[in-house]
Amino acid sequence: MKRAKVILTVWLTALALVLTACGGKSGDTGGQTGTSGQQSGDTQQTQEKVKIRLATWAGAEEAKELQAVIDEINAKSTTFEIVSEPIPADYYTKLQTMIAGNTAPDLFWLSQEYIASYAARGALLDITDRLAQDTRPAANLDDYFPEILESAKYQGRVYGLPWIAQPVIVYYNKALFKEAGVPEPTDDWDWQTFRETAKKLTNKEKGIYGVAFNGWPPVQMFIWQAGGEVISPDLKSSPIDSPEAIQALEFYNSIIYNEEVAPPLAVINEEGFAELFKKGKLAMFFGGAADDLDRVEGLDVGTVLVPKGPKNRTTFAWTASTVISSQTKHPDIAYEALVELTEGIHNWKIVAPRKSLATKEHLVKSEPRKEKSADTIIKATQEMRAFRVIPRQPEWDTIFWEQVQDPLFSKKGSAAELARAARPKLEELLP
Amino acid sequence: MAEWHAEWYLSTLSHWLLVGAAMIGLMLATYAVLRRLKVRREAAAGYALILPWLLGFLIWNAYPFAYSLYLAFTEYDVLQPPKWVGLENFKYMFFEDPRFWPSVKLTVLYAFISVPLGMAGALATAVLLAQDVKAVGFWRTLYYLPSVLPAAATALLWRWMFASKGLINTLLSPIYRLLDMEPLMWFADERLVLPSFVIMSFWGIFGANTVILLAALKNVPKELLEAATVDGAGPWTRFFKITLPMISPSLLYVMIMGIIGALQNFTAPLFITTPSGAGTFLNVYIYQQGFTQYKMGYASAIAWFLMVLILILTLLVMRWSEAWVYYEVEVRKKGR
Repeated sequence: MKRAKVILTVWLTALALVLTACGGKSGDTGGQTGTSGQQSGDTQQTQEKVKIRLATWAGAEEAKELQAVIDEINAKSTTFEIVSEPIPADYYTKLQTMIAGNTAPDLFWLSQEYIASYAARGALLDITDRLAQDTRPAANLDDYFPEILESAKYQGRVYGLPWIAQPVIVYYNKALFKEAGVPEPTDDWDWQTFRETAKKLTNKEKGIYGVAFNGWPPVQMFIWQAGGEVISPDLKSSPIDSPEAIQALEFYNSIIYNEEVAPPLAVINEEGFAELFKKGKLAMFFGGAADDLDRVEGLDVGTVLVPKGPKNRTTFAWTASTVISSQTKHPDIAYEALVELTEGIHNWKIVAPRKSLATKEHLVKSEPRKEKSADTIIKATQEMRAFRVIPRQPEWDTIFWEQVQDPLFSKKGSAAELARAARPKLEELLP
Repeated sequence: MAEWHAEWYLSTLSHWLLVGAAMIGLMLATYAVLRRLKVRREAAAGYALILPWLLGFLIWNAYPFAYSLYLAFTEYDVLQPPKWVGLENFKYMFFEDPRFWPSVKLTVLYAFISVPLGMAGALATAVLLAQDVKAVGFWRTLYYLPSVLPAAATALLWRWMFASKGLINTLLSPIYRLLDMEPLMWFADERLVLPSFVIMSFWGIFGANTVILLAALKNVPKELLEAATVDGAGPWTRFFKITLPMISPSLLYVMIMGIIGALQNFTAPLFITTPSGAGTFLNVYIYQQGFTQYKMGYASAIAWFLMVLILILTLLVMRWSEAWVYYEVEVRKKGR
């Protein structure tokens, strides 16, 4: 009998060991990025720094730059140490899994279309009140571009700080313009001059096209330019069948895959999209402000604002925020880290979504390689906006693509029919 | 990235070693407990030795299986706990989802077209490789190579071959010119997506199936074939009356595995973009619903539908096989 007891104890101990060994990994990710020298010296302090985990989708290069930003912040802080956990592939899948497994990082990046969705599901910490009491510049909400900050809000509460707003501008290949004898575009061009220019530059025999569309740039941008909306400001309707929206959808459709002005889908699938521009086969390309399209070797590239629509020259800005997990064990310290980190990223990424930082000097300081395009980018920030998002945004986007854009672009129906048929389905998803 | 992070390296290494050591301890303890319970020495050792596998199976297979069945009746977006919705997912799947049935149709048609063609091709290749030719080992290795290549790489390779100015269209260009027609766009043309995938599936002819059928061919008793020859049977008669029935069990195996594999087609369609989602096989659809739309409940429901579909088709094939598969043992029993 006694022996059985001993054996049982051994068995249970071993089981406990296996379980702790398996489970220990997730909690102890502290060493993952190898805390650099100065931190290990600080461990003698009376209070040990709290480790704040930060998940990002940064690739290898980007993660290295980010680590430099973080190192500087960590060196200054006495309360926290940010530990970077880059997840360059399957970011959202992994993030959701971590949240579901209760091992969510304290801070993480979310691109604009996800914030409402995560906030509505209770995954994010509401930081509105903390921000109101904070006097640091990165916490001053009045300094943020309101249309950009909107993407970090849900039901009027703030859930994150935007760290980038990348307005779309048009990059163009000067040599192709010269060859075709077409004058280079200027900031006062509109839809019509843009389309005519693209047509003149297209030379199918040589495989050269004026511009390329494939769902990018987002059709929303053109709808806004025509004075329409895809989701109304009160989030109550999706007026994609309004005359303004139809006009924009039709204009977009007159360009996409239309060989008079742009490459067909097969060419894009095979040769790439932005790659076509880099290979010198596209005269114009709608790109984000931070894209490397103006520093391609062998290409002389100019930049210009997006063409003006019937109503305005709004440009789409790709936006992302850093948010705090509602699961964090140290909400106050995580908030401290968030504000410091946001300030750090605003001095690294372009464009920092703050009015006071939207200057040529600041932009060139953050990214010297962008000097040539800085003027265009700064002008573009004045008329940029992000998507208006709802909690069920991924589903909304799927229907908008599958039942409006995709059939329209593959000539299966008219913009008016498709938009009218899809509108009720889209509106079902509104909050 | 050859940076040395002592803390990280040692902690990870110690975790690994700890898991290993604990596992051994657990196995020894299991053995001891079973022995105390008067289990035979051999059986106790057996259970102790399969313990790591058993734990792995329970934690990583059995539990997820059971859990996904539960999830099929819930709405689960990963961020919030699953919410029980009863048969809602299945109702949506069968009656409302506009993308579900096209996906089922594509998947089933693909299986029904590609499997027989693939089997015929594999059999033909096996017959060729069964001949006494020089350097037969070399040829057999060569024809096995396709199954060694990673699926993702072959998918990219085929995408390139099917490109508008790719290898296939270049080869076919004299025919296009002769018939005065536009080159086919293959994966870029909605109507040609299924045929393109079927053609691509011929890649699978070479590989495991050929090897299995080759082994079966080599097992056909020589004396049967010789006796038939003596009786005046020609090569075709010998092949259809003797060889085919003798290898029919292997053909059945290849067919069932082929059907299961075809219904689960995933890697290639995931890598190949098709217009309007015309190439969305069921497995890809499950992946999209689960991992891009975050509808884990709905994805689980489709996954279970796929499982039942595979089960039913497999049972039907098994049933039908009684008509054409020949098992020597059974015939002998009946004859007695």
